[in-house]
Amino acid sequence: MKISRIALLLAGAVLLEFFVGGSSHRSLLPVDWFLLATAAVARNGDFVRAVLAGAAAGFLEDALSQPLLGANAFAKAILGFALTLVSVRVVFGGALAVGAALAAASLANEAIVAALSALLMGSPMVVVSRDALWRAAATGIAGGALEAAWAFPWGEWWKRRRLRRLR
Amino acid sequence: MSEPSADGLRTLRPQNPHVEITAVNPRRGGAVLVTVLVACVLILSAQAPARGGRGTVLQSWILSASAPLASAVSSVSQGFSGTLDSTTELFSARSQNERLRRELDARDRELFRLRAEMRQLGEARRLESAGAVLPGVIGSVPVLLVERRSGVHSALIGAGASDGVVPGSPLAVPAGLVGRVVTVGRGISRAQLLLDASAAAGARIVRTGELGVVRGDGRGSLTLNNIATTSSVASGDLVESAGIDGIYPRGVPIGRVESVLRGSKLFLEVRVAPSADFARLTDVLLLSPSPAAKESPEGSQGAAR
Repeated sequence: MKISRIALLLAGAVLLEFFVGGSSHRSLLPVDWFLLATAAVARNGDFVRAVLAGAAAGFLEDALSQPLLGANAFAKAILGFALTLVSVRVVFGGALAVGAALAAASLANEAIVAALSALLMGSPMVVVSRDALWRAAATGIAGGALEAAWAFPWGEWWKRRRLRRLR
Repeated sequence: MSEPSADGLRTLRPQNPHVEITAVNPRRGGAVLVTVLVACVLILSAQAPARGGRGTVLQSWILSASAPLASAVSSVSQGFSGTLDSTTELFSARSQNERLRRELDARDRELFRLRAEMRQLGEARRLESAGAVLPGVIGSVPVLLVERRSGVHSALIGAGASDGVVPGSPLAVPAGLVGRVVTVGRGISRAQLLLDASAAAGARIVRTGELGVVRGDGRGSLTLNNIATTSSVASGDLVESAGIDGIYPRGVPIGRVESVLRGSKLFLEVRVAPSADFARLTDVLLLSPSPAAKESPEGSQGAAR
């Protein structure tokens, strides 16, 4: 994936996080857009770019939402490497599989951030909370939907629709 | 699953047909991941407060990591400074030692001189107080040298013309008569002792009142001449100066009669043991000279002879 596309993905994630995260619908759709951007880079199989994109996404997320700068960068760099490893090791396709993998990655992200906060800031460590589960589910659903939309044959569907109208 | 690459690294072959694989190199990615994680840890530690509440975790780590180095630098610095100080102190101690030694030597010399002066003063006071019975005492004079050779008994005394010594001045100790000054220099004088073979003094036997002449025999003893055989002089009689020779004042003890021999001559041979201890002459009393000696020193020398 080209760097410009990565930058575009990260910018989109920032905008979505900024607008959706700041709106009243935050609790309804707490999607981790930065994790989705990292996963999008990781599925191309380039470890270096996935790690760097994950770190950059994590820094942006920390700058927007976290008091501890670097916690999400740490977590998303690991997740970028792990998702890349998954994408090159196994057949990483299908909305269900992608959604499940992203939900698991979201839970791992929350756990890593909670562990870092507990270690460095002395805050109480809650690895799996209800919010974390909901966020993982939302991220998994959003990721699966995007995967399904990505894999959907839009061109063929459009042709069939035109043929149907012409008849 | 994996194939060796051209550079020897094992790369993973992608298995996802839907994904456009651009590059696969997990080792390089691992190195980048480690680098990124380390950077994140450093950034996080720079924000997290340390346990003591002072500074951050990163500062605490840096301090902990640099503590041995700082300790080593401090040790080296202290060692260097200590060596420099020791060297400087060594040089200063040497010069100080030299200075103290010179001062100590000067103090020792001063102490020795003061002790000698005190001893001299004490001796002079003792001598003057003991010699209060002697007539015309001017003061005490140290004896610098006593000379005894072939009948000559003389002494160098530490007083001269600047001290008021004149030729013919009698010398005595509290025990008795010693001699007279014959040569006067500026600071020292030469004296003729009574034991000298050419010395003589007018004498009187205290018990009988008879007059005679005491002479030195040059061997450490005295003889009393001109005592008639009719005299009743006996051993133990005290002999003193008679004041008839124009040199010595009257009444200064000379000695005691040691032996009396009656020969075939008209006079007795009377040997006199001197009262003064000539073997221990350290200080003598300078007596005022006889008026006759002041007026005619040549006559006094002649009378002494």
